[in-house]
Amino acid sequence: MNASRERMLANIRASLNTTRATLDVEATRMPHTAPPFVHRPEDDLVAQFAAEFAKLEGQTHRCADEASALGVIADILRAHHAPSVIAWEHDKIGLPGLDELFAECGVVALDPHIVATDRKERLQMLEPAPVCISGADVGIAESGSLLIAHGDGKPRIASLLAPIHIAVLRASQLVRGLGEAIAQVRQERGADLFADASNITLITGPSRTADIEMTLTLGIHGPREMHVVLIEK
Amino acid sequence: MTTQTLSFYNRVDDALRDGSLRTALDRATSRFIGNRAAALAALAGPDALRDQARAIRAYALAHLDELLNQLSDNVEAHGGRVCWAEDGAAARRYITDLARERGVKSIVKSKSMASEEIHLNTALEQAGIEVIETDLGEYIIQLANETPSHIIAPAIHKTREQVSALFTQHLGEPPTDDVPAMTRAARRALRQRFLRADMGISGVNFGVADSGAVTVVENEGNARLATTVPRIHVAIMGIERIVRSFEDLGVMLQVLARSATGQKLSVYTSIISGPARPNESDGPEEFHLVLLDNGRSQILGGKYAETLMCIRCGACLNICPVYQAIGGHAYGGVYSGPIGAVLTPLLQPDLPEQHTLPFASSLCGACQEACPVRIAIPDLLLRLRADAVQQGKAPPIERLAMEGYRVLMTNPALYRASGKLGGIASRMFGRKRRFRQMPPPLHLWTRKRDFPAFPAETFTERWEKRRKSDER
Ligand code: SF4
Repeated sequence: MNASRERMLANIRASLNTTRATLDVEATRMPHTAPPFVHRPEDDLVAQFAAEFAKLEGQTHRCADEASALGVIADILRAHHAPSVIAWEHDKIGLPGLDELFAECGVVALDPHIVATDRKERLQMLEPAPVCISGADVGIAESGSLLIAHGDGKPRIASLLAPIHIAVLRASQLVRGLGEAIAQVRQERGADLFADASNITLITGPSRTADIEMTLTLGIHGPREMHVVLIEK
Repeated sequence: MTTQTLSFYNRVDDALRDGSLRTALDRATSRFIGNRAAALAALAGPDALRDQARAIRAYALAHLDELLNQLSDNVEAHGGRVCWAEDGAAARRYITDLARERGVKSIVKSKSMASEEIHLNTALEQAGIEVIETDLGEYIIQLANETPSHIIAPAIHKTREQVSALFTQHLGEPPTDDVPAMTRAARRALRQRFLRADMGISGVNFGVADSGAVTVVENEGNARLATTVPRIHVAIMGIERIVRSFEDLGVMLQVLARSATGQKLSVYTSIISGPARPNESDGPEEFHLVLLDNGRSQILGGKYAETLMCIRCGACLNICPVYQAIGGHAYGGVYSGPIGAVLTPLLQPDLPEQHTLPFASSLCGACQEACPVRIAIPDLLLRLRADAVQQGKAPPIERLAMEGYRVLMTNPALYRASGKLGGIASRMFGRKRRFRQMPPPLHLWTRKRDFPAFPAETFTERWEKRRKSDER
């Protein structure tokens, strides 16, 4: 295995003897770091996010406070007669009162653990849940995206497995563009982004495909319905 | 797979005769072109972002040795394993051996051009392992036992009736012409495949050296499922598909999404480093990264090095008048369109007739204009043509043409005269300024479309006039 590594590297270096100088000139023509944003910035990031997210067929629920956020979530759960959900640990979602809300609505939060256990059986138990609930680390206004750094208490399947995904976001978590989001993640997590977790995901709207006759269809593999509960206070 | 055995000219002929293929191609490519143009126009500085993207790709190639080492070390530090595969055989062996050792019976795959390049599915199936493509388009063509016709939309050549017939035959679904109903049927069928799979295989859009991560970009969620749900994740990546840092990645993601489909960002971008950590409740328990060379390190040292900047966005395909007319299958290889005409002879040199592909272009320059990293595709095609002529591999008519081209290009007087002659011929034969019929083999081209007549006044003549009037 190591011999092939050495041979591949030797081939690459031999090739670069002829082309490295030219390529390096091209490499220095522009800075590489992503600009903070790429569209003209807007003052009202909440409105911008909601408008962009609507273009993606996502729904933003602007909530003045936590109580109204809980109310929105209860309405969605009831509308879908959800007996169970796949959710992040509640303190990671950052919305107090979810436990009581689930109890009130008769909703069971399923155990999302599939690692180092009977994975396939667990997955079959999780599959019927109609709703999944997560938080988010950053919201990107100009593209209507969520950045989620998965990890402890923040499973990936809580934004993936069920046909309906509810994400809780605070207005204070909004940035203008992807460049700003990346800078923020770097600042929080330091040089080794993946020191204690294996995955960072950007989500920009519900799952979609246009593979049959270029006809846009939602929910092919991931959630078909996406709700961002945006708490403005 | 019959398309593979026909000669290139026969495949072109078939494609041009196929009316429904032409309609599907028109619909898809024009949509992609429109979306891409709108997305770029909306940017505050579209040119700057593309220039950044090119500089980032140039840096990655110039420092490929360092960056691959860094990526590999970081993946291992995060608990993953790395296979350095010199060719397709080494990559196939590593993955099939791994699957056998772990007792893998069923594999779910998300889209990966590299795995198609090395015919990975065939190798796994021969080892008795079931492989399911899960991108909807790829799934459809797998059911139909065909090959992708487009990088971004692999099944654009299929009509809804054809898809419904496939689902009836393979999934027992009732016939329908409702696309959302078909999509729901595919979701149900594929969901169980995901939940029961032992291994997920994904491609890689960008390796991120400083993070020891791979990035997978998609719209459907099948790549997220394939890299999260099964116990083992294998990512396969061409060695050139790398960037230095998370910060560089930010530019590439925005350029890729806009160029490919006109989106600001694709629906899902997964950045993955190693297997699930002890405190994580999901994700794979094993992570393997296969770094595929397969001729790339050779290309890096020559006059085609620039092709390695390609990010497989498909913009050059959509804009290409030849691709619009004949579609992806006619190219015969895994990679189609203008960049396919360059990549296939370089990456799949054993394919019969690959050397004729660089001749399937009018060198109109639209591809280079559309390319987010500004690859000089027409230039590269000309060089490949010259190589083919030199090696005596070019089709006879092309050998003549290239000889003529050389004489013409090195002799300005003759070049001017030829333009004039073309103009005169056009005025004589080209009704309404279009040629209705071209001599063989170009008649295949003019059967379904007119060839623009040479202008009565040549470019050099106009240029002369302009220059003279400017001097006055
Ligand atoms: S050559 Fe350029 S336009 Fe064509 S697929 Fe590659 S990056 Fe896209």
